[in-house]
Amino acid sequence: MNLRPANKEDIAGLLSAANAKDARIGRLDLSGMNRILEHTPEDMTVTVEAGITLGALQESLARRRQWLPVDPPSAGTLCVLDLISCNVSGPRRFGFGTIRDHLIGIQVVLADGRLVRSGGKVVKNVAGFDVMKLFVGGHDSLGIIVEATFKLLPLPESEHFVQARCDSADEARRLIDSVLDSELTPTVLDLHNVDCDEGMVVILAFSGAHEDVDWQLGKASSLGFHESTTLDYERVFWTGSGTSPHRLSVLPSRLTDAVRELDGVRFVARAGNGVLYHRGPNAPAEPPASTELARRLKATFDPNGILHPMPPT
Amino acid sequence: MTPPPDHALTPQMLVQLRVIVGPEGVIVGEDELLVYECDAYTLEKHLPGVVVLPRTTEEVVAVVKLCARHHLPIIPRGAGTSLSGTVLAVNGGVMIALTRMNRVLEVDYRNRRALVEAGCVNAWVTNAVKAKGLFYAPDPSSQSACTIGGNVGTNSGGPHTLKYGVTTNHVLGYELVLPDGEVVWLGTTPDGGEDVDGYDLRGAAIGSEGMFGIVTRVLVRLIRAPQAFKTLLGVFETVDDASQAVSDIIGAGMVPGALEMMDQLITQAVEAAYHFGFPLDAGAVLIIELDGLAASLDQQAASVVEICRKNGARDVRIAKDDQERAELWKCRKRAFGAIGRLSPNFITQDGVVPRSKLPEMMQFIRRCSEKYGLRIPNVFHAGDGNLHPLILYDERDPDQVRRALEVSDEILTRCVELGGSVTGEHGIGAEKIDFMAKQFSVDDLDAMRMLRRVFDPEGRCNPHKMFPGSKRCGDFAPRKQISA
Repeated sequence: MNLRPANKEDIAGLLSAANAKDARIGRLDLSGMNRILEHTPEDMTVTVEAGITLGALQESLARRRQWLPVDPPSAGTLCVLDLISCNVSGPRRFGFGTIRDHLIGIQVVLADGRLVRSGGKVVKNVAGFDVMKLFVGGHDSLGIIVEATFKLLPLPESEHFVQARCDSADEARRLIDSVLDSELTPTVLDLHNVDCDEGMVVILAFSGAHEDVDWQLGKASSLGFHESTTLDYERVFWTGSGTSPHRLSVLPSRLTDAVRELDGVRFVARAGNGVLYHRGPNAPAEPPASTELARRLKATFDPNGILHPMPPT
Repeated sequence: MTPPPDHALTPQMLVQLRVIVGPEGVIVGEDELLVYECDAYTLEKHLPGVVVLPRTTEEVVAVVKLCARHHLPIIPRGAGTSLSGTVLAVNGGVMIALTRMNRVLEVDYRNRRALVEAGCVNAWVTNAVKAKGLFYAPDPSSQSACTIGGNVGTNSGGPHTLKYGVTTNHVLGYELVLPDGEVVWLGTTPDGGEDVDGYDLRGAAIGSEGMFGIVTRVLVRLIRAPQAFKTLLGVFETVDDASQAVSDIIGAGMVPGALEMMDQLITQAVEAAYHFGFPLDAGAVLIIELDGLAASLDQQAASVVEICRKNGARDVRIAKDDQERAELWKCRKRAFGAIGRLSPNFITQDGVVPRSKLPEMMQFIRRCSEKYGLRIPNVFHAGDGNLHPLILYDERDPDQVRRALEVSDEILTRCVELGGSVTGEHGIGAEKIDFMAKQFSVDDLDAMRMLRRVFDPEGRCNPHKMFPGSKRCGDFAPRKQISA
């Protein structure tokens, strides 16, 4: 069944009814739950309904010169529910972290229809267990997120992208190391081969005060990053044809080895984080070490199995 | 009045514990156990049945399995610097102290990670890596004593969390011994990638106050030390002016590394103790630390000075060198220690309000202080809205004890009413159990209990904490204040 609830009470009712009949919940369309409930610029926090798209949220925040510092692909259509439950991220994660770092409160409907909150609206809060984290990357398997509160950052005064081309993974490795060993504080440190006939490209972004960005651009230039660029490769990669990309997460120092093994397949990589997306053959994932705990968690929160199966899905 | 211990330890069990950890790793004498009767929250005290000091994860597992067989409560403990009775052995039991497991095991500079044992002191991590320009960001004021395992247990913060975040943002993964003795690794492994498939159990167990198991090894994230600092001291006539300056600095789009306030009472005590040169007649001082690339710091510092002046600051000083900066932070981080000059006893509260409610909350605390006739100095993380009112009392006067507890209650209740939280970094522990029902609904609390059951189905790990209805100590007779 596919359903378009108008509010969180609708979702509570749906889950409660499904739970009583052991009926699986299908895909929920949360586009009717797209309001910003509270944005307090002076507190740098925002509370939203989970159906709002990230794009719409950023647009509204930008009017007060703030942003939620995440940049996953397709922000225009990605709703906050999926942003959290699929734990998606983008190139700026090197500088700003992922959504779990910015989420400070959440309201979810549990499988039995009860509405529960975790966290709150303040930026620092250790009251109670951090139940909220279960729903980050939880793929809607333990409950349905209906509201979320985030801490925000001021929009940077300035942001610039520069790149350096390299012929081989070894050369890329040397370039990346030279950045990490320098005083630079890039907010993006990516490697990709999108639109490259051969070789690959290292991308850096600098953001913040004009003086800092200018100083870093000069420094980066001395390391070989002369060419101004944009994030176009991201859009090209994610909207590209073929199978949906696979993710590989390795020690950052082993990233270029992993790239070499891909043997020319199209990829973008968060080189600073060791995260690689590619359209090559999928490597078998290692099972997480704590599978039994995960199974107990799923059985405790969704005993009748009405929600999505537990991740990885 | 003290309830009987849940379970008595038999002489045979003590023999078995000595076999596991060696005779010097088992503490049973009442005099020696006194050290372990409380943490830095000294209003409640309970002697554990025994304290065990394991040296390896294997020893922790063996001790935990022995306790599991005999259904004994286990209480994990680091350095005991927690402020909410988090490590109280409420009904006795086996306290497992990690202080002998205190090594930095590996530092991976290229990947900016360090693997440390749970009993490793927080400051030792930064000390081990600072020569290479790296540091471990969470810096609780007790960082020269508190342990990384304890930081994981309470999701510790510190003055620099405004910019850098708290423990959960800097712990990549850790080894946890579950209450049945099973060993699991949660989150990123030491040689693994940072994204891990499946549930974020690492995040769910950080801040669980030792109720999910015993942390034995921790993989922490290291970050690049800022290129430069500008540390400013703003001197204000009133707390309200200083509070408004805090709001204006944040509102101007700056994210200082730290933004701390000390009111007049605490500034006077700190000055008497450490002689930094703080003005004794100022209503409040702000410590504002800007960090990052040197290029923009002068400009940012000029903006901060202007904002402070606009809000009536009589003086704004900039630390002239690293030494003066270090002195200033020493005063701030040892502020609690200076309270001994003001009062024999104090309760430290840790409520949080949205930043914009700070002036209102500070006025409320002032009114409470007058209403209850108790002095309440304040030293706190203003940029985060995280208050630390220190309620001064004398335990020899039962009426003062009663008033101190009442005023605590009133302040924390107000924090919740203003949309905040009863604790920003100290935790619920045994102290704030009664506030959980004020801040959370019955269902919210049930979701927390469900999570706990996943890790500890028997509720045997650090029992009688966190939840309303937990067993409380019947008698309330503080004997001494050891940590002031």
